[in-house]
Amino acid sequence: MIRSLIYSLTFHSVMILLTVLSLPFMIREPVELPPIVSVELIQISDKTMIPYAPKARKIIEDTKKKEVEKRVVSEQAPPSAKAKEKPDRIPLPNKKEEEKKIIKKKQNPEEIKPQIRQSSEFEKKEVVDTNQIAALIDKAKQIEATEKKDSKKITQSNQKNSFATGLTLSEEDALRAQIFGCWSVPLGLPYDQNLLVRIKLELKQDGTILNSEILDHERMNRPGQKFYKVLAESALRAVRMCQPLKVPPTGYDKWKDLQLNFNPEEMLKG
Amino acid sequence: MKKLIYIFLINIFITNYSSALIEVDITRGNLDPLPIAVSPLHVDIKSEKYKEINVKELGEKISGIIEKNFKNTGLFNPLKKDAFVQKPDIAHVKPRFEDWRLIKAQALVTGKLLISGDKLKVEFRLWDLAAAQEMTALAFTTTPSNWRRVAHIISDKIYERLTGEEGYFDTRIIYVAESGPKTQRVKKLAIMDQDGFNTKYLTLGNELVLTPRFNPTNQMVTYMSYFRNMPRVYLLDIETGTQEVVGNFPGMTFAPRFSPDGKKIIMSFAKDGNSDIFTMDLETRLVERITEHSSIDTSPSFSPDGKFIAFNSDRSGLQQIYVMRSDGSNVKRITFGKGIYGTPVWSPRGDLIAFTKMHKGRFYIGVMRTDGTGERLLTENYYQEAPSWSPNGRVLVFYRETKSGSKGEGFSAKLWSIDITGYNERRLSTKTDASDPSWSSLLTK
Amino acid sequence: MTLKSNLKNILLVIFTTLLFSACSTAKKSADIEGDVYTGKETVEYLAAGVPDRVFFATNKSSLTTASRATLRKQATFLRKNKNLNVVIEGHADERGTREYNLALGERRANAARDYLMTYGISGKRLSVISYGKEKPVNPKSSPISWSQNRRSVTVKVN
Repeated sequence: MIRSLIYSLTFHSVMILLTVLSLPFMIREPVELPPIVSVELIQISDKTMIPYAPKARKIIEDTKKKEVEKRVVSEQAPPSAKAKEKPDRIPLPNKKEEEKKIIKKKQNPEEIKPQIRQSSEFEKKEVVDTNQIAALIDKAKQIEATEKKDSKKITQSNQKNSFATGLTLSEEDALRAQIFGCWSVPLGLPYDQNLLVRIKLELKQDGTILNSEILDHERMNRPGQKFYKVLAESALRAVRMCQPLKVPPTGYDKWKDLQLNFNPEEMLKG
Repeated sequence: MKKLIYIFLINIFITNYSSALIEVDITRGNLDPLPIAVSPLHVDIKSEKYKEINVKELGEKISGIIEKNFKNTGLFNPLKKDAFVQKPDIAHVKPRFEDWRLIKAQALVTGKLLISGDKLKVEFRLWDLAAAQEMTALAFTTTPSNWRRVAHIISDKIYERLTGEEGYFDTRIIYVAESGPKTQRVKKLAIMDQDGFNTKYLTLGNELVLTPRFNPTNQMVTYMSYFRNMPRVYLLDIETGTQEVVGNFPGMTFAPRFSPDGKKIIMSFAKDGNSDIFTMDLETRLVERITEHSSIDTSPSFSPDGKFIAFNSDRSGLQQIYVMRSDGSNVKRITFGKGIYGTPVWSPRGDLIAFTKMHKGRFYIGVMRTDGTGERLLTENYYQEAPSWSPNGRVLVFYRETKSGSKGEGFSAKLWSIDITGYNERRLSTKTDASDPSWSSLLTK
Repeated sequence: MTLKSNLKNILLVIFTTLLFSACSTAKKSADIEGDVYTGKETVEYLAAGVPDRVFFATNKSSLTTASRATLRKQATFLRKNKNLNVVIEGHADERGTREYNLALGERRANAARDYLMTYGISGKRLSVISYGKEKPVNPKSSPISWSQNRRSVTVKVN
């Protein structure tokens, strides 16, 4: 046993010496070649085979994060403006504002509250309530307005877009972000079908919905279009749960008719 | 050039103002499971008990099964009952939509049941809470002992209405129940409901049985048995329990599956060290050779239209997946990735093939398009194989063998399922160790 | 610069020595040649000096020189015992799909059977059965146990 150990040790040390002496020549040549990545490439391809959905989820999480970031920025701006406006009415402005912040952060669940009363077709719309809501919305608008001012500066290069849509990019983003949060995408949809759902909305000045219409609604009841129907229903739910929509404070004429194109393809493909 | 651009810009300006409609593209949304409230079914009580069944509890038991089914899909989030704002008696009236929206539910299931005579009458409704609308309402009558299936059927209907595709809850899984040490495994055919209930054993375990598969109507099973040490493909009628050998082959037959019309069995026949693929017509008893090659051809699986067959062959040296016409012509290799491939199974939708892949000592379950492109590996483990599709083509069930130590101790084999998205991997509950699962089609359509 | 290349050299040296040492240990500790089991563990005997089984490489059914020697001994034994019939069981290790392994086991058993027939044993005396991966002789999960399970076993019938 010991003898063989000695043999192997001497043999190995000879090998080490040999390699130390000879290897530098071997190294010098390949150094100039591009780095050896072929082995890694194989593994990468293996990993990309793994499901497409997580990517989509990541993107959404990212956008959610971005939304949160945005909100934080915009919420920090208004308090000073507000405090100046209504110090006499509210004795404890700080507390109230904190509450508002909390409400804002939980966006979808809490924002349902006002909309519940509006959307239930069985009860007649209560006049008293709409006033309250209008007041709430006014406040919300102030926040949004500052938010828009902030982001306008950044996105001026995208002005072309405002020609195309009538909304500035940031206005569009605010609306989009709001609906992202409300839209529970039906998870079982196939990714290889054209499933664009276009909803035409008629809005009130406060962003609540007067009328909603699915543009290809006859497709919903066609045989073999179950997925489309499911998607259309989910889009309608999203719009209803989201209202009042975050519309710009001005230019009602521009956006009183609004078309939303719901397209899950990107998400489903990942 | 500049002029052109100006004209172009002006054009955009004009056209947009004339059409005036603002369009906003919504390409992202919330990918969390859909919050749904399943209210316990309201029970109209005529008698407290029907045979063994406690009628009073039935409403809650049924809604419990529905909730569990939904939870397992990964697509729905059944809300906790203690948050519910209305009692089961809402089955008689329209729910108070606003209240349900407060607990963040988007859909609500209500219903009622009644046992009168020997009949169980069930009624249920699905409500869209945002739109304040009924989405679907159904009623049906069955025998009271079928109450678990009632829950599964309701689950299927709701699932279909909310996802646009068929459900897979009123289904069964046939598998091989295993026990004993690995060198002397006892194997029996077993059948259970998709959720692990109502397990029944179809063989006694005296001989080795492998790879059971349902026919399209779920009444017959084809499997491989070592009865009298003659490894052959068998046909079993589940209702009557009668069994017969399929064909009269002078050697081992194995890897059986039904054709999509249920009229033929396709399988491998091994003779003199060479396995080829054959079919046998169950009516005419006619045997047809499909492949003739000196390599191993096995694990055949028909496409749902019956026009093509995917199979496993080592004609290139190592196992790969091939596709051919159902008459054996036009053989094409479709897998060229790293590693070796086995057990191709054509999806019921026809667009994908599920497979087992072995690479660097690990086993993967994956799916790819039928031309071999778009390979996606869904799950990776020490040993797993034999995927079988849920009837709607959304979920795969397979078996996985694990060991707690490298010396083979703590060996166990279990059934697992995973969505074709690669999400929602979970273990199916079985009474014993289990392998070779085969998922039935929907028992009621 | 020189430091970097030196470091690289050292790393390479360590790597190569590791390679060499790996080679030497594998040969010492296991009775595996190439991929084929060559040891005596799990082997039973039809008669004194006549092993009952031969081993195969992963996914292969070709006979090694050692396997042929074993099978020639079996052929001699069978020629001496003219009334004896045997079943040749083909087996595979657990690292493959169940269905493919059934076919592979059948191919291995037939490889042994064909060889026995070339040494004058009538095919009628030699039947074949494949168990795939269903009947491992060693339940462990290691290259050694897998190599012991990749086998064809000649079993007396009467």
